[in-house]
Amino acid sequence: MGTNVIYPPDPLPAVPNVSGAIRQALLHPVGSEPLPELLKPGMRLTIAFDDISLPLPPMQTPDIRGRVIEQVLELAARAGVEDVRLIVANSLHRRMTPGEIKRAVGERVYRSFYPDALTNHDAEDPAGLVHVGQTDRGEDVEINRRAAESDLLVYVNINLVAMDGGHKSVPVGLASYRSLRHHHNVHTMLNSQSFMDPRPGHSAIHDSCARMGELLSEHLRISTIETTLNNNTFPAPFDFMNKREWEWSLKDQASYLAGKRANDRAPAWIRREIFRRIASPYGLTGVHAGETAAVHERTLANLHRQQLTEVNGQVDVMVVGLPYICPYNVNSIMNPILVQCLGLGYLFNMYVNKPVVRPGGVMILHHPVPWEFNQLHHPSYVDFFDEVLAETTDPAAIEAKFEAQYAQDPWYVHLYRNSYAYHGVHPFYMWYWGAHAMDYLGDVIFVGANRKAVARMGFRTASTFADALEMASETVGGSPRISYLHTPPLTLAEVR
Amino acid sequence: MAKTVLDEVREVARGWRWTRRPLTPRTAERWAPATKPRVFPTSWARTRPAKAVREAILRYGFRPVVWTETDPTVEGLDNLEGLAGPVMFIANHASHMDTPLILCSLPKEWRERTAVAAAADYFFDVWWRAASTALVFNTFPIERTGGQRATNTARQLVQDGWNLVVYPEGTRSRDGWVARLRHGASRLSIEYGLPVVPIAIRGTYAAMPRGRSWPVRGRVPISVRFGPALRVEPEEDFRSFSKRIQQELARLWDEDATDWYHSLRREAEGRTPALTGPAGPRWRRVWESSRPLPRRGAPRVWRV
Repeated sequence: MGTNVIYPPDPLPAVPNVSGAIRQALLHPVGSEPLPELLKPGMRLTIAFDDISLPLPPMQTPDIRGRVIEQVLELAARAGVEDVRLIVANSLHRRMTPGEIKRAVGERVYRSFYPDALTNHDAEDPAGLVHVGQTDRGEDVEINRRAAESDLLVYVNINLVAMDGGHKSVPVGLASYRSLRHHHNVHTMLNSQSFMDPRPGHSAIHDSCARMGELLSEHLRISTIETTLNNNTFPAPFDFMNKREWEWSLKDQASYLAGKRANDRAPAWIRREIFRRIASPYGLTGVHAGETAAVHERTLANLHRQQLTEVNGQVDVMVVGLPYICPYNVNSIMNPILVQCLGLGYLFNMYVNKPVVRPGGVMILHHPVPWEFNQLHHPSYVDFFDEVLAETTDPAAIEAKFEAQYAQDPWYVHLYRNSYAYHGVHPFYMWYWGAHAMDYLGDVIFVGANRKAVARMGFRTASTFADALEMASETVGGSPRISYLHTPPLTLAEVR
Repeated sequence: MAKTVLDEVREVARGWRWTRRPLTPRTAERWAPATKPRVFPTSWARTRPAKAVREAILRYGFRPVVWTETDPTVEGLDNLEGLAGPVMFIANHASHMDTPLILCSLPKEWRERTAVAAAADYFFDVWWRAASTALVFNTFPIERTGGQRATNTARQLVQDGWNLVVYPEGTRSRDGWVARLRHGASRLSIEYGLPVVPIAIRGTYAAMPRGRSWPVRGRVPISVRFGPALRVEPEEDFRSFSKRIQQELARLWDEDATDWYHSLRREAEGRTPALTGPAGPRWRRVWESSRPLPRRGAPRVWRV
């Protein structure tokens, strides 16, 4: 029985002069005129940017979004642009708090525009949305009215994984439920193999977004600015997690032991508070501006340069340790549905070509899966877990029977618009992200997890890793080939 | 009654020349032989033990006091990212609070490599004042009368890699506004290719103007705003560089008073408000600069 460990590559060297690199990208964009030529007095300029779900963990300040936005605005100020709006492209995610927005864009931009001209996108504001049209496949494209009616929309992105960016930015980040349901559904998810491989024909969700993006580009001038970060994920004293275990120094080993002890003994809220404060010392590996598709091609090349790891052949058992954070629990709690989404939705899909594990194989995930929810951020998740999953865990059945009810529930809509709640339909999307893995895998086993929470989701629990392997042998036999995806930092397995 | 020893000591002490007053009577100064000016040595204040003492005094003495007695907001430190020292920090100057504010606002790695230019005739007139300011603020003497000798120590410090804090107005403001900048700083910056980081300080005149030795009551809001580094352009002389520094300081001041984007817009249109304050009698400028800044951040609420 042999085990492979798929380690993430070392961090690439960071761009030394970040401001200079941004300036260079804006003055020499790809497939577009330089940004100063697009800026005119009297124009309507809208800048949209990725929300709190990126990057993970949040980066140390100054955030790269703020640095890019500042340079765009400096050019706009010089060009005499008065009508400027900034929009958080939060789609159906929760609104960002004022403090979170300030952290992302920086004090200067925040104080200049918040709250009048710097707002969260509201996907449930009928007056704030506009139906741009339908794609040739009949997909509705409905996005933020201000963005759609601008003379220039600048989108500032952080491309953490290959799934992000490109045409997925505007048609998703600024869209409404009416538009999103065309690609955030079980059918599309089952045909996205993988989400992390956005080449045409490989990911149905990206194909749909591309169609929408192309329709939008006929109606709206979009300038995309995409950035990529290196793998320098953890600051001291947690930096031992950036290394392979055999590279640990004595200090790293001591840090690990102390951290593990403290983590085992501390109450959950203290653990969360410590993890919440971790801000990553990422370095910028690239910044590109211009036409969306041309920019994204370069961005993906940069991302692959950092994250691709070659893997020979598929295995019978894929093992992952789930980190404390996913895109939807920043400053919040990782509830069981998010655990499922992170494991089966995201980490399972961290591949190009074919999955790390063979069809019908087993995935073993390490996570305590506590039965805990943040009532402020995830109110509809609580009901989804109690009501929907108690009845069925089949994504298609859930979609058919419950989605519309949750998506249109006035109380969830109210909380999404006025509180800091994820949209009512959001837990459904989390469940759909895992649909491909659930369909593909023979078994899913959580190690050291809350049995009731895991059973509610239709998976199995093992007390120890040895037990999990024993349980897996029922599906894959007694001598399985095993791969452990060692993450974070993130890595994308290129399976041959 | 016979005098006690203590009385005699007091009497002698009263007669002691505490300041370095010249021994020559004013009326005889014309005939007195010229004396060679002496520069107070400050290199000891940059030794490792002195640095440790200074860090302790600033971090555990000045910072808690200043941050308790006033309500400072520090912004723009992100502009230091990517800068490699030495740099020259240039700030407007209205109060003795300015120096501790700047030093306590800087990150430790910058603070411990930063020296402050102080007027030789004011801070270095007597040994105890010179020694104490050199120890606490890492000051070095600078002659306000100008000339090559005025900046000798500064040159040496730059060569040794120290960042400098310079107040190019030459003195504390008398009305809270900013006077014309002298050219010494821009000359030095050009000579050594030093990036200049402007710092706009607002509110210290209202908090502790000339004549006060302790901030006024009520935790007056203060703002310390660091701007982006300026570098001398090719073909730029010290006069035009000084002017550009003054313009950036004015824009930074405007940014702090209004907001960043609109300050950029006004700068592009040449409408940045002057730093000299309202025209008219002096009292109007004092009146305006004594007005407390609005408090920033979320209003305080009761916590249950």
